[in-house]
Amino acid sequence: MKAELQAIQAEALEAIKSVDTPDALESLRITYFGRKGKLTDVMKGMGKLSKEERPEIGKLANEVRAALTQAFEEATQTLHSQQQEQQLEAESVDITLPGRKPAYGKAHPVMQTLERIEAIFGQMGFEVVTGPDVETEYYNFDALNTPADHPARDLHDTFYLTDGHLLRTHNSPVQIRAMENQKPPVRIIVPGKCYRVDYDVSHTPMFHQVEGLLVDTRVTFSDLKGVLTVFARQMFGDQTQMRFRPHFFPFTEPSAEMDISCAVCQGKGCRSCGGSGWVEILGAGAVDPSVFEAVNYDPNEVTGFAFGMGVERIANLQFRIPDIRTFYENDLRFLRQF
Amino acid sequence: MNVTLNWLKNYIDFELAPNELADRLTMLGIEVESIKQLSAELEGVIVGSVTAIRPHPNADKLVLCQVDVGGTEALQIVCGAPNVREGMLAPVATIGATLPIGLTIKRAKLRGEESHGMLCSEKELGLSEDAAGLMELPADIPLGTSFSAALGLDDVVFELEITPNRPDCLSMIGVAREIRAETGNALKLPQVDLNEAEADIREMTSVTIEAPDLCPRYAARVIQGVKVGASPEWLQQRLESVGVGVINNIVDITNFVLMEYGQPLHAFDYHKLAENRIVVRRAAACENITTLDEIARELTPDMLVIADAEKPVALAGIMGGYDSEITETTADVLLESAYFNPSSVRATAKALGVSTEASYRFERGADPGIVPAALDRAAQLIAELAGGTICKGIVDVYPRQQPLRRIQLRPKRVNFILGTALEATEMVQILSHLDFDVKTNGAEDYEVIVPTFRSDITREIDLIEEIARVHGYDNIPTTLPKGDIPVPDPNPRTEVRKRIKHFLIAAGMMEAINYSFCDPSCFDKIRFTADDPRRETLKLKNPLSPEMSVLRTTLLPRLLENAQYNRNHQIDTIALFETGSVFISNGEQKEPERVAGILAGQIGEGVYSDPYRSPDFYDIKGLVEGILEVCGIVDYTLQKTDTPTFHPGRNAEILLGDRQIGTFGEAHPEVLENYDLPYKAYLFEFDMEVLVDAAIFAKRFEPIPIYPTVERDLAIVVDKEVLSDMPTQLIYATGGELVKSVRLFDVYEGEQVPEGKKSLAYAITYHSATETLTDKAVNTLHDKVVKHLNQKLGAELRM
Repeated sequence: MKAELQAIQAEALEAIKSVDTPDALESLRITYFGRKGKLTDVMKGMGKLSKEERPEIGKLANEVRAALTQAFEEATQTLHSQQQEQQLEAESVDITLPGRKPAYGKAHPVMQTLERIEAIFGQMGFEVVTGPDVETEYYNFDALNTPADHPARDLHDTFYLTDGHLLRTHNSPVQIRAMENQKPPVRIIVPGKCYRVDYDVSHTPMFHQVEGLLVDTRVTFSDLKGVLTVFARQMFGDQTQMRFRPHFFPFTEPSAEMDISCAVCQGKGCRSCGGSGWVEILGAGAVDPSVFEAVNYDPNEVTGFAFGMGVERIANLQFRIPDIRTFYENDLRFLRQF
Repeated sequence: MNVTLNWLKNYIDFELAPNELADRLTMLGIEVESIKQLSAELEGVIVGSVTAIRPHPNADKLVLCQVDVGGTEALQIVCGAPNVREGMLAPVATIGATLPIGLTIKRAKLRGEESHGMLCSEKELGLSEDAAGLMELPADIPLGTSFSAALGLDDVVFELEITPNRPDCLSMIGVAREIRAETGNALKLPQVDLNEAEADIREMTSVTIEAPDLCPRYAARVIQGVKVGASPEWLQQRLESVGVGVINNIVDITNFVLMEYGQPLHAFDYHKLAENRIVVRRAAACENITTLDEIARELTPDMLVIADAEKPVALAGIMGGYDSEITETTADVLLESAYFNPSSVRATAKALGVSTEASYRFERGADPGIVPAALDRAAQLIAELAGGTICKGIVDVYPRQQPLRRIQLRPKRVNFILGTALEATEMVQILSHLDFDVKTNGAEDYEVIVPTFRSDITREIDLIEEIARVHGYDNIPTTLPKGDIPVPDPNPRTEVRKRIKHFLIAAGMMEAINYSFCDPSCFDKIRFTADDPRRETLKLKNPLSPEMSVLRTTLLPRLLENAQYNRNHQIDTIALFETGSVFISNGEQKEPERVAGILAGQIGEGVYSDPYRSPDFYDIKGLVEGILEVCGIVDYTLQKTDTPTFHPGRNAEILLGDRQIGTFGEAHPEVLENYDLPYKAYLFEFDMEVLVDAAIFAKRFEPIPIYPTVERDLAIVVDKEVLSDMPTQLIYATGGELVKSVRLFDVYEGEQVPEGKKSLAYAITYHSATETLTDKAVNTLHDKVVKHLNQKLGAELRM
């Protein structure tokens, strides 16, 4: 019996080696371990053994069973991995075939720029408010200290409506509306569309501005410089140089224009900055006392500053679109780029 | 306005290089837009004198000239000019010089004779079109000097942007004063020393101002016996260097003084004035004048004219009259120097559509104080350059003399406004350099007297700006505002817009921005009915073009135009949306916001993994549903409309109760045709106002199911007219709380389904929040659903 067991073990181990499918392996296992299997048969014969033989043979039988069980398990494992490998190989794909990209759109480049500007001033506590595009002469000009015979009121610049209204030429009327509606402190920015009679490579008859206004009891011109410096650094980068030049706006005094160093030549002077090394980005100034008077604020009690910038201009410092009218053609090849 | 370096240096000394000067002026608020070096192209051209001429041995038309250019040896130059003669001074282009016409001078032999340079005509130097002969130069120029320097061509021209509040800077002296503020150097004003004749002006003319409100000051002088002719070279050069045309010596002198002092002057031919006198008055009704530009102009009674005893002879402050202008035969001149009301000049110039150097200055505000000085300066120059004698005395009528403005200045206030810590003495010095007179009434109280040329300075804040800009904006500290940050109100509109935009962008839509103006014919193109209220538009009085003449009342036409534009450029994957205002004109001015979109052409990337397909009704509906979902709006209904913009069978309005939130659908075939679209287009437009109103952002947690769900499929055959929503609603109604969801997963018509019928397949998910549903319970419920579908909708179970 001992010899028989050893023969079964040898035979089985040999047979396992040549098996190459899980099915064949299973039937082989049954050949040994099945109800009528070879090993089962031998084990059944154990009862006929003498008391002396039984422990020795029993031990051997257990060893054979254990060895075969392990051999079958290993073979199962091996076959499984082989099969998985084959399957994985068969499933290999052409990684250069195009992906199934989910459709995604994009915000208009002007809106992307506008959102960045809003976010920067938002961090400094400026609230977004808006106002109407169709305005009256009072809000667009008179209340902003722009008397009736000021050059900015020429028919040439302003779109008038047949009903006597006009399309606002800047977002500054919202300053007036905001101050009429609330008491100081006021800390707002006003994004939106405005309109001027102009149509060439650097002008569109409709464009976007962000106007800002801060009014409080202790606001100084140096604060204006501070806020706009923070803005320019965040918008254009830490390396950006800036300067403030005196200028004229009817509704601010003192008035300024802000330049940043030309990003193309790093301030050395090139064609895109007209050789000066500087690029104008916005107009600003301390709120003129007459504007406060127009909204019944007391200029002895409060001071403030205002600023206004063209969004297309800011956007184009980055994008460098040669003809600014391209912004409003809505060519999908254009819109996709940003 | 243009100024030149050399001209400025007549009035102030400074050692600034052109670039430095430009920088300083820019930082003072006078932006230098360009700098032009005049002599750059004339290097190597010097002044020479023709000392001897002899015939050229080999050519009849050429001569050999000995030219003295101040060196040890005279140059031999071959010349063919007809006007060459011994003793004349002319420009000599020496060897190596390159002329503006592109010619580089080399040592050459002309017909066998050496030529060491070239004698030049004006044309060869790029100065004029005159090629008739050599340019003859004044005899007093030292030989060998640079031609550019000799003619004042070695100058630098600065193009300045003068802001409208600074008319005083529209002159050389005005700009020189700014340089003084910057450098502290003294101003050098022209020395005027008149040599008056016996004849008394009071016997020769008179000035009557009938409209002192429009003409607060009018002064005149008479100069007799002038000889009208060309101005001397230096004067022509000065005017040309700043872009002022040369006319004759008298007019050139008035223009020179205009540029010098900023005071417009006018010269009349004294003998062409009826009764030789001046009346300043409003025009009479139906009066006319032919101005210098030979245009006959009709006048209105609100226009101020300079008249003689009979008729207008000039448009006050704008342009002289043709009939009284200076001509070659003029012998006696009446010279005008006046101050006119800015608004009046502006209104008249605007009404007549003219703008001149004079009107430009008067309408911004000239200097009433400089009127006699400028007049004297011009009289002196006329006497010097055009001969003639100046009659004794000046007529100066000044009915509206204003006292000098006095403004209180509080140094503390200055520092408070600017955020600076300037000493009062610094402030006083800045103002003094700008010709303000400053008196102190104590350390905190100064009185500043404003000179007449600074009409822009009326308040303390104006003085503060002067101090700030001369002190330098760059020298003002940079600080951050102190004080409370106001707390903003919640803004649901911003939130709704943001959510919708994010959704649409995530759904593959590109954002468009269109002009607010549109073409009124677009309403026909999108088939609005004749009585559609959206045809009521606000109209522009001065549109750029008919295509941009009214304000939009809907976003759809422009989006269709965008589709058309892209189609015309072979782009067919069209998915665009826009948010923006439309403009309602009935009664109260309103600008409600809309959000609209268009899908057309194809969807997809058109690649192996994502082939193109055409969008259909359910693509646009999906976008509409998404928008409603992100706004938290669920209680809406859809209803077909007869809106002519849409396909009658493929459109819907979205209703919230009776309120329309928006519409969507397939564009009507005629609309497609009107926009040249070769394929279907799908549109939606929402009223943002209603969306904002109806949006619900509040969310409450709904427990995640703890008991298992049971899904049962159900395929039914119903009449074709039954809308898919009807069984769905019925299933919900029947199952009550136990029906968690009903999903339509198949719609089928055709084989195996009888004519006039369709098959709908639903997946129903049953679920109870309180127990595990048994099979039996689900079956009972499901059977009840089937039974109701049969009873109410005639639905047959499809096997």
